[in-house]
Order: sequence, then C-alpha cells, then structure tokens
Amino acid sequence: MDSWTLLMEGFATAIQPQYLVFAFLGVLLGTAVGVLPGIGPAMTVALLLPLTYTLEPAAALITFAGIYYGGMYGGSTTSILLNTPGESASIVTAIEGNKMAKLGRGAAALATAAIGSFIAGTIATLGLTLLAPVLARFAVNLGPADYVALIVIAFVTVGALLGSSVPRGMVSLGVGLFLGLIGTEVLSGQQRYTLGLLPLADGIDVVLVAVGLFAVGETLYVAARLRHGPIALIPVTRGWRSWMTREDWKRSWKPWLRGTAIGFPIGTIPAGGADVATFLSYAAERKLSRRKGEFGRGAIEGVAGPEAANNAAAAGVLVPLLTLGLPTTATAAIIITAFQSYGIQPGPQLFSSQPGLVWALVASLYIGNVILLVLNLPLVGIWVKLLQIPRPYLYAGILLFACFGAYAVNFSPVDILILLIIGVLGFFMRRYGYPVAPLVVGMILGPMGEAQLRRALQLSQGDLTTLVTHPFAAGAYAVLALLIGAGLWLKRRQRRYEQALTESIAVPLSADHEVGAR
Amino acid sequence: MIVRTGGIRSARSSLPVGELVFALLMLGLGIFALVGVFGIRVPAGATVGPTAFPILVSAILLVSSSAVLIGVLRGQRAQAEEGEDIDESLPTDWLTLAKITALVVAHLALLEIIGWAPAAALLFGGVAWALGAKRWWMALLVGCVVALVVQIVFAGLLGLSLPWGPLLGWLGGMF
Repeated sequence: MDSWTLLMEGFATAIQPQYLVFAFLGVLLGTAVGVLPGIGPAMTVALLLPLTYTLEPAAALITFAGIYYGGMYGGSTTSILLNTPGESASIVTAIEGNKMAKLGRGAAALATAAIGSFIAGTIATLGLTLLAPVLARFAVNLGPADYVALIVIAFVTVGALLGSSVPRGMVSLGVGLFLGLIGTEVLSGQQRYTLGLLPLADGIDVVLVAVGLFAVGETLYVAARLRHGPIALIPVTRGWRSWMTREDWKRSWKPWLRGTAIGFPIGTIPAGGADVATFLSYAAERKLSRRKGEFGRGAIEGVAGPEAANNAAAAGVLVPLLTLGLPTTATAAIIITAFQSYGIQPGPQLFSSQPGLVWALVASLYIGNVILLVLNLPLVGIWVKLLQIPRPYLYAGILLFACFGAYAVNFSPVDILILLIIGVLGFFMRRYGYPVAPLVVGMILGPMGEAQLRRALQLSQGDLTTLVTHPFAAGAYAVLALLIGAGLWLKRRQRRYEQALTESIAVPLSADHEVGAR
Repeated sequence: MIVRTGGIRSARSSLPVGELVFALLMLGLGIFALVGVFGIRVPAGATVGPTAFPILVSAILLVSSSAVLIGVLRGQRAQAEEGEDIDESLPTDWLTLAKITALVVAHLALLEIIGWAPAAALLFGGVAWALGAKRWWMALLVGCVVALVVQIVFAGLLGLSLPWGPLLGWLGGMF
C-alpha cells in the first residue's frame, strides 16, 4: 500500500506542466530518432543523452523515460514501412508487418503495434511498480559477495547471449572490461593503462564509448556499403482513421496479453533482452494460431504479439536496473550512465534515498506510454517523411550529432578523437561479427565488479570461498548455469527457426525481388 | 586480393585475412593488458591489490580471442551485421571511409580555430558529399543551417560553451 501513496506523489510531480512538456518532448524525440532507419534503441538513447545535460535531474530523467519508450517503439514503424528485402528476416516482427503493408494493410499493422505497445507497456510498468520496491527491500541485505555473483551473471549472459557467437561476445566483453580499467585506480591512486597520456588519466567517458560504437561505428559500417538509388517505401493507403477492423481487434487482443506475459519476465532476467522476447512471442503466436498458413504472408498476430513483448521487455529491463543497479542490455547500460552523470547511483538504496525522483520516473513511464499512443498514429505522415530523408544527409547528421555529443562531455577536441577511434573499432567489430552490446555493458559493470570483488575479499581476508558460500551467491551461480543452458538452447532454436521461416517465405520474397531488380 | 565474378564471392574459400588480423589484434590487446599488470604497484598489506582484476580481464581477452582465432582457422566465418541501408552485394568502399575519417579529424582540429558552427557545417557537407549527395552545394547549405541551429540553441540559449569563432563572434555577443 505504501508504494501506492508514493506512486501518487510521483504522479503529482510528473503531471506538473513543465514535466509533462519534457515527457512529451522525450517521447517525440525518442520516436523520431528511433524511426530513422539504422538507429536502434541503444543508439537513440546514446545520441540524445547530451540533450539532457542542461536539465535538472528530475526533468532529465522524465525526458529520458520518454526517449527510452519512444526509441523502443520507433523501430517497428521503420520495419513496417521500409521495403528492404532480405534484411527483415533478422527481426521477426518485420516479416509480418512488412507483408501486411504490401497487402495495403499498413495502417492496421501500425495500429496493432501502437495499441499493443501501449497495453503491454502499461501492464509491464504496473509490474515494475509492484515488483521493484519488494526487490529493493530484499536487495538491501545483499553483501558484496552476492553482488559479485550478480555481476558475474550479467557478464556471462550478456557476453554469451548477445550476438551470434559465444567467443566473439566474450572478446567484446573483455574489451569493454579493459576500457573500464583505463584511468586512475581509486584505492591506491595510481594510473593503470593510461600510457602516461593526460586525457586518459580520468578514464574514458562511457558516453564516448557508447556514442562511438553505436553512432560512429554504425555510420562507418553503412557508409562502406550504402544502398544507393531511390528509397523504397510502402505507402500507407487509407488514413490512420481506418486503423483496425472488428476482426483485427479480435485477432489482436490475445497476442497483446500473451506478448506482455512473455516479454516482462524475460526483460527482468539477464537473458538477452527484447530480442529473445519478441522471438518467443512470435513462435508462440504461430503455434497457437489457427491460420498458420497466413504467417509469413502478413498475419496480424505476428505483429501484435512481438510488438507487445518488445515493450513489456523494455519495462522489465528497468527492474534490475533500478533495484540492483544492474544493466542487462546496452540501452540499460547507457541509461545507468545518464543516472550517474547526475550523481544518482541506481541500486537498492535508490528507493529509500531518492523516493521522490524514482517514483516521478515510474509515473512518467505511465504518462510516456499514453503520449506514445496519442502521438504515434496521427503522426504517421511525419514518420514517413523521416524515412524519406536522403541517406547521405541522414548519416551526415548522425555523425555531426555524435561529434557534438562527444565534444559536449568535456568541451575538449581530444574526446572527438577518442570517439573516432572507438568508432573505427565498432566498424571492424560489426564487420567481423562481434556484438557491440557486451562491450558497453562490460565497461559500465567492470569497475563496479572490481570494487565489490575487492570489498568481498577484504571482508573474508582473502578467503576465495566467500564468493560461493553465501546462500544467495551460491543460488545465483546455480541459476546462472541454468540460464546459460536455456539461453543457448533458445538461441539455437531461434536461428534454426528463422532459417526455416526465411526458406518457407523465400518463394514470394524472391519472386518480387526478381521484379524489383534489373 | 578479393576477386568478384558476377556477384558470387569467390573469396569464401580463401583465408579470411581481415578477420584473422582483427582476432590477432584482440589477442595482442590481451597480451598488452597482461604485460601492463607488471607495471602496477601493489600497496603493502592489501589482500586484493589493484592487479587482481586486470589479470582476470587479460585472461578473458586471451582465452576468448584464442577461441575466435581457432574457430576462424577451422572455417567458422563471422556473420557480418545486417542493416536496412546496407547493400550486402557491394564491396567495401574504403575510399569513402577514408574521406569520412579525414573529415572528422579536420572537424576536431578546426573547431577551436574557426568556431564550432563552421567546423560542423564543413563536417556535415563533407560527409554528405562523400556519401554521394547529388549536389555538393546543397549539402553544404543544409550543413550550415543545421550547424547554426545547434550553435544558437545549445550555445546561445542553453549555455553550452561551444566556441563561436571569429566568423560568428558578433552573434555570440548577442546572447
């Protein structure tokens, strides 16, 4: 009951006109940037981080909540409306949404995605409201050894599960941990791996790494093989008012709820984030549907379920982030950076030390969801315009804002050089199949892990068994083994499933490919 | 050399040099991290010194990059990332990459001399041109507008200290 009064107080803060404006701006900017092709949620959040530098903490966090939800949602519009054959196989939602749009049902696909996201987001935020305070109260009793266990879990799952190959994921994680080591060591005050260079003495700013990897790396990667020629957009016939028929509603509501039920729990555990959730939801819908034949040819259930799962997972990710200070995705890692830049350390103490701020943030998640729904459908015309930006201008703009963001960290041109070097690293990582997300997570969690490890061993006077003898830590390692096993099994299923799916729809796909090309 | 005939990659069967070099570099980073450990002083009386974690990180880097190397040599090729704007049938355009890198370096070298907005306009126009914008003067014009808007909003109205430079000093004086 107590958390309800606090939530109401949070609403009282977030509903103030100036904060509503920030929430609105956040959702608008987040969606707009998220809609841009080639920009995922992590890059959206990284690119927009500098915008919040000038705001006070509450306003900045509320803006950020909007950017986060908007950025998570924006991508679905892109995949429904942008006709780029071949690529869509990597995201299950895109297959159905894209096919629906080609059949002239783009408005229905956009509507079921938007309404599904709203319902899933709201239910999942409710889940966050109920679960987070309980978890935070429990987490207060965790010792350093327990934290080491949690951080090891995050390392291993993120390294092993994000990306196509386990060793490459672990290399990426290792590079992130190494970048986190650079700088002045806190306890003995000496520099590590700085090569005596002054700009490295304070360590490399995480913003530079995130923006460099996502924005600069991605721009370079696209620039190397830019698709030239006109942009193939699928026109949305009939206005957004014609949305969904009665039958569409009937076919959508169950997938929305199932997607939420799948997405939220998966988001809360470190198991690869939204990707796994959307895939599981898609597979479930396909299995349960009485019209299996429609899947791969524009089944509305295949958009409704995964889109709901995607947004529910986005809210689920915030549970370990706020209560334990553990980021489980690259986007979450960047959000932690945003918190830290205001001197706020997410963790179990956050709910007792900064209740006003946390609950205002949670309240603004509810509000952001409503704004998302209200904005999205009427503004489809604007999103279509955004998708038509000529690519040379789009990527020039991304690069410009990346350099601006890097410069705004310390107002030192050296930071832009570091940004460029990290960007080149990101380019080669993409090129050779290394996932970049583990690097960002490793860089954030590395210093935390080191501090907790040293504290734990200080307490036990160097006795290593302390790390596994605490009941919670021991349990955590057992769960880790299970998670890894289940996660790798799921990954393999997902890959085989997607392959089968691509082959089963390859006939119509290659047919219109033939017509389009040459 | 990668030879392409009719869009079929004949390079598939040959040794992936780039991939091997990158994996070797990662292995090198692991060795560098391990060697660096010996340069870190361990204060007397510390149960866990400042070297414990770096040793762990070096181990992760060394083991995982070795695993990648062995995998590549056994023929497990990487899956390059896909994207909406990427045409996978095209070869890598190194010239464009070089141009963009040079433009970013020029931007960071110039911005404190000629001011942020002019340096940013140059970066935007240059990159758009390198990526194949049809009219270079249009790219430069759009760059000027974007740069000016950012400069006025962030430096003028929100107070971030972006240098105005000699060209726009009069404008900066107005805020």
